[in-house]
Amino acid sequence: MKGPLPAMISLRGVTLVYPNGVRALDNVNLQIEKGEFVFLVGDSGTGKSSLLRLLYREARCTTGEIVVDGIRVDRLRRKRVPALRRHLGVVFQDFKLLIDKTVWENVAFAMQVTGAHTRDVMRQVPRVLDLVGLSHKSRMYPGELSGGEQQRAAIARALVNNPKILLCDEPTGNLDPANTTEITALLQRINLKGTTVVVATHNQAVVDRMRRRVVRLHDGRITADEERGYYYLGLGQSQVLSG
Amino acid sequence: MDSGKVKFFLGEVLRNFSRNTGMQVTAIGTVAITIVLLGLFLFVRAALADIGNRLLDQIEVSAYLHTDVTPAQVTAIAHFLAEDPRIASAQFVPKKQALAELRARTKGTIDTALLTENPLPDKFRIKTREPDDVPAVAASVRRLTGVENVVYGQKIVQRLLQLGAVLRRIGIAVIVVFFAVAGIIISNTIRLTVFARRREIAIMQLVGATGTYIRLPFICEGLLAGIIGALIAVGLLAVARAALWPRLLEALPWAQLTVMPVDARLFGAELVAVGAGIGVVASWISVGRHLRT
Repeated sequence: MKGPLPAMISLRGVTLVYPNGVRALDNVNLQIEKGEFVFLVGDSGTGKSSLLRLLYREARCTTGEIVVDGIRVDRLRRKRVPALRRHLGVVFQDFKLLIDKTVWENVAFAMQVTGAHTRDVMRQVPRVLDLVGLSHKSRMYPGELSGGEQQRAAIARALVNNPKILLCDEPTGNLDPANTTEITALLQRINLKGTTVVVATHNQAVVDRMRRRVVRLHDGRITADEERGYYYLGLGQSQVLSG
Repeated sequence: MDSGKVKFFLGEVLRNFSRNTGMQVTAIGTVAITIVLLGLFLFVRAALADIGNRLLDQIEVSAYLHTDVTPAQVTAIAHFLAEDPRIASAQFVPKKQALAELRARTKGTIDTALLTENPLPDKFRIKTREPDDVPAVAASVRRLTGVENVVYGQKIVQRLLQLGAVLRRIGIAVIVVFFAVAGIIISNTIRLTVFARRREIAIMQLVGATGTYIRLPFICEGLLAGIIGALIAVGLLAVARAALWPRLLEALPWAQLTVMPVDARLFGAELVAVGAGIGVVASWISVGRHLRT
């Protein structure tokens, strides 16, 4: 292999076969540059989540080569996984907030458990809470927040360690249209600050409104990869609907 | 050191510890029961060993000499006994002294004045350093020329030695079983707390906390449960001792239990250390099993 790859995320010939024999990903090749905003689209069970899981090393690919921010994730030893994850922010459909901690504590938690200095926690947490617009609710518990606010708290937590990459797995899956718009705008704002953002979604409206790079997965294979794409290949259905 | 970090960490441990009260009570109770049983067992063993040793200490080997033994032979025997490192003391008792002792001992029951001559032989009164050596020393003394017969409480000595060996073996077995049971129960309890906090653990893993960092609070909880359980146990044992010890002395005067066979403070500290050890080992194993992917 010659030198490190320039791409922020790079997959070459990646195949993932689960122990039960299901072939989740089949010879996937994908390059994502620094600062890109990419949608991974496709029906449920087509491998979107599996692909993200490979990137933050929740799963290991069966064959192929994965590089994330210069780290060979496919060869990464278990001991080195925490170091990789500190470079990544991950956001989920179900927020994964701790219900017995306040918004502030949830966000600070991500720094505290990675051994951050208290001084840095005190500086960084207000900054990300301000970025996601939750400063005024930092003392509230997740149960007292709307879905959109909970997701914003989760995004703040994902961003608090200054990751270069933000991975989102169906971030708007549990949200109503208004909150979906709000979260999408937030993700875009984060991307504008230089963070590489990868969003797995099957929300057609979001994808079609944003007109960013769209990578379409079907049965574990990439079937389309378009700059400024639509949810459906070359077809602006939502444009028709929304005018 | 960053005091905020330490505060956060200890806060997490205490919060989780108090949150899973039911489970912690189970773990603490188990440790307490185990340690009480262990303490009682060790105490009884020590007391029995103490009584046994005292009885054994009183045992002496009597080597009776031939009536026609020569002074040279007596000197040779005395020399031999003085050389043997197993022998603590060897005292020559001439027949006159033996008779005088017999008279003193049997005063009023047997009229020794009836005796026209001294029927007793000369003898050596031998004490060994270790009770275990009594049979061997007796056997080697018997082979000496001039020694007619060797007598000691054969049966008692052998019984006591056997009893000691059996007690040691049972003791080890019982302790192993106690530990296994306590370990399993604590390990299960910790597994439940791990399960109750799987979301937290998942998030910690997701944001890049190290395995050690994730384990540490559980280990601390195990340690805490072990120490608290052991302290409760030591408290119970101390109360039991205060209440029962005087009665035990009264009930078993023959045992001559004049002092505690163990140093109470050291014993308590050891039990607490054992409790802490059980807590740490059990939680370490249990958390490790859960975190393996």
